[in-house]
Amino acid sequence: MQTKRTIFPSKLLPYILLAPQLAVTLIFFIWPALQAVKSSFEREDPFGFRTTFIWFDNYRRIFADPNYLSSLGRTAIFAISVTLLSMAISLLLAVAVNRLLRSGKVYTTLLVWPYAVAPVVVGILWWFIFNPSIGLAPYILRGLGISWNHRIDGNQAMILIIIAAAWKQISYNFLFFVAGLQSVPQSLNEAAAIDGAGPFKRFWTIIFPLISPTTFFLLIININYAMFDTFGIVDATTSGGPAQATNILVYKVYTDGVLNLNIGSSAAQSVILMLIVIALTIVQFRFVERRVQY
Amino acid sequence: MATISLIDLMKSYGDIPAVKGVNLDVADGELIVLVGPSGCGKSTLLRMVAGLETVTSGSIEIGGRNVVKAEPAERDIAMVFQNYALYPHMTVRGNLEYGLKNRGTPREEINRRVREAADILEIGALLDRKPRQLSGGQRQRVAMGRAIVREPAAFLFDEPLSNLDAKLRVQMRVEIRKLQRRLKTTSLYVTHDQLEAMTLADRLVVMNSGLVEQIGTPTEVYDRPATLFVAGFIGSPPMNLIPVSSLSGNEVSAGLPSGTDIVGIRPDAFVLEQPAEPSLALEASVELLEPIGGESHLHVRLNSSGQSIVLSVPGRPEIAEVSDIVVHARLADLHPFSAQTGRRADNP
Repeated sequence: MQTKRTIFPSKLLPYILLAPQLAVTLIFFIWPALQAVKSSFEREDPFGFRTTFIWFDNYRRIFADPNYLSSLGRTAIFAISVTLLSMAISLLLAVAVNRLLRSGKVYTTLLVWPYAVAPVVVGILWWFIFNPSIGLAPYILRGLGISWNHRIDGNQAMILIIIAAAWKQISYNFLFFVAGLQSVPQSLNEAAAIDGAGPFKRFWTIIFPLISPTTFFLLIININYAMFDTFGIVDATTSGGPAQATNILVYKVYTDGVLNLNIGSSAAQSVILMLIVIALTIVQFRFVERRVQY
Repeated sequence: MATISLIDLMKSYGDIPAVKGVNLDVADGELIVLVGPSGCGKSTLLRMVAGLETVTSGSIEIGGRNVVKAEPAERDIAMVFQNYALYPHMTVRGNLEYGLKNRGTPREEINRRVREAADILEIGALLDRKPRQLSGGQRQRVAMGRAIVREPAAFLFDEPLSNLDAKLRVQMRVEIRKLQRRLKTTSLYVTHDQLEAMTLADRLVVMNSGLVEQIGTPTEVYDRPATLFVAGFIGSPPMNLIPVSSLSGNEVSAGLPSGTDIVGIRPDAFVLEQPAEPSLALEASVELLEPIGGESHLHVRLNSSGQSIVLSVPGRPEIAEVSDIVVHARLADLHPFSAQTGRRADNP
């Protein structure tokens, strides 16, 4: 890639230009992150008079806590389900839109709208649709003989937040898949058709391998999203309940720290989440660039 | 091995016709070149034969079987694409095997055919490489190999050489010709390059705006272009088309068939000295002399009408630019055309 080099008249100017962005990053990300790391090694007494440095005690406690471990398991289920569901649906939509010539743009525009909706609003939207007393979905499900009440049934609550979280992410995945599909030359598809492969086989043997970089990129992004960006959705729909059934890691950080004021444990949990993000990002950069290519 | 017949083949996109009724019979083992300017419908025609475009009306028969409704895979054809369309994530071997595997060819048979094709095309050493590791010419060979291994009833070539540089293009052109002679597989070849068309074809199909202008061997088409379009398209530099009205001072109208109002004269039919045979003479002024090695192109402007024409003369004549000359052409070398019909005036 060629980048244009800019020559600045003064050595100071580039730093001044970068300063606002750096300040925002430092104040709102780096500093709190360091604070969290610091807090994760400390214990605070209930009244906030004294903090003691306790090394890895918080971490040790977290990994011995059955609540935390089950939350970890639920988070895994949640993240995998959201990722698979939203990626599968968006790939299906992208393939469908890619076959259209003229109306494709209209569908693309419409399908992108959910991405502009704030997570909390998404949560409330689905909370309404699945509201056991006034929602449309439980009414229909009742007609099918399924009793829906995610306030009582933990599995149903999990299904609800998976649907809500996946729905919001479909737009984003869809855009990338459409772009990926459009970069596959039509002639490859035609050559495969002449080579005797049916539409289904063509997709799996030619097109899908060729969009694998996009797929892998989205996989990482979606796992990241499901694990860290779904606080608003959980908060607005189930608030982690019933009985901890939807208390995924990122929500647990909030309930333990902000509601239960166990700052040390909450900080340790957020540091663990941060490490997971870092690990996923490293994987993404190392592999997207190198392994998934043809 | 098969014949291909196109019967009243038409294609339109909405109200816009692309191919306006084409009839063509391709004999077994023949190499037919479809040639014409871009947008003349030649690629659409080829893609219809391949099954990549639907047919608006008319029919296509391959080996006597009507294939209009058949899927591309069921037509027993192989196609070489302009951009080669090699599967980038497969090795060369994978590319060659893909079509055979899809058809459930037994393993030993696949291996035998791949080895054979690799030998013919001399790509044996490249079998384990990915397409991105190959040069343009090598990719072209692999694309050909992918067509050969299938042992299809017909090859379809869609401007296969236009992505190669000039030197390689000439070399591959010769190879394609030799290969086709050797395999004797019926072939349809699309190109916009008239030189490529002339050298490759058993028979040429010259197309213009969705219609066939002329079908014939390269010599026939060159020696007796059927229409004004063909006259201007085939041959380089193109034939000079001069209105009869500007042949003032020449008693030619008597010798030309009735209805002739344009005469076509090939650049190399002009001579600078008056020939013994009956001829016409045109006064002109020299504008530019282009020596191109063995011959020279002489750009002159006719004094009678101000029309620019091109002469191709052997060697490097000593003619000063901006000088007046008289050029001659034998009456026998004139191609009479009617401007009204756009066709030859002396056709039976």
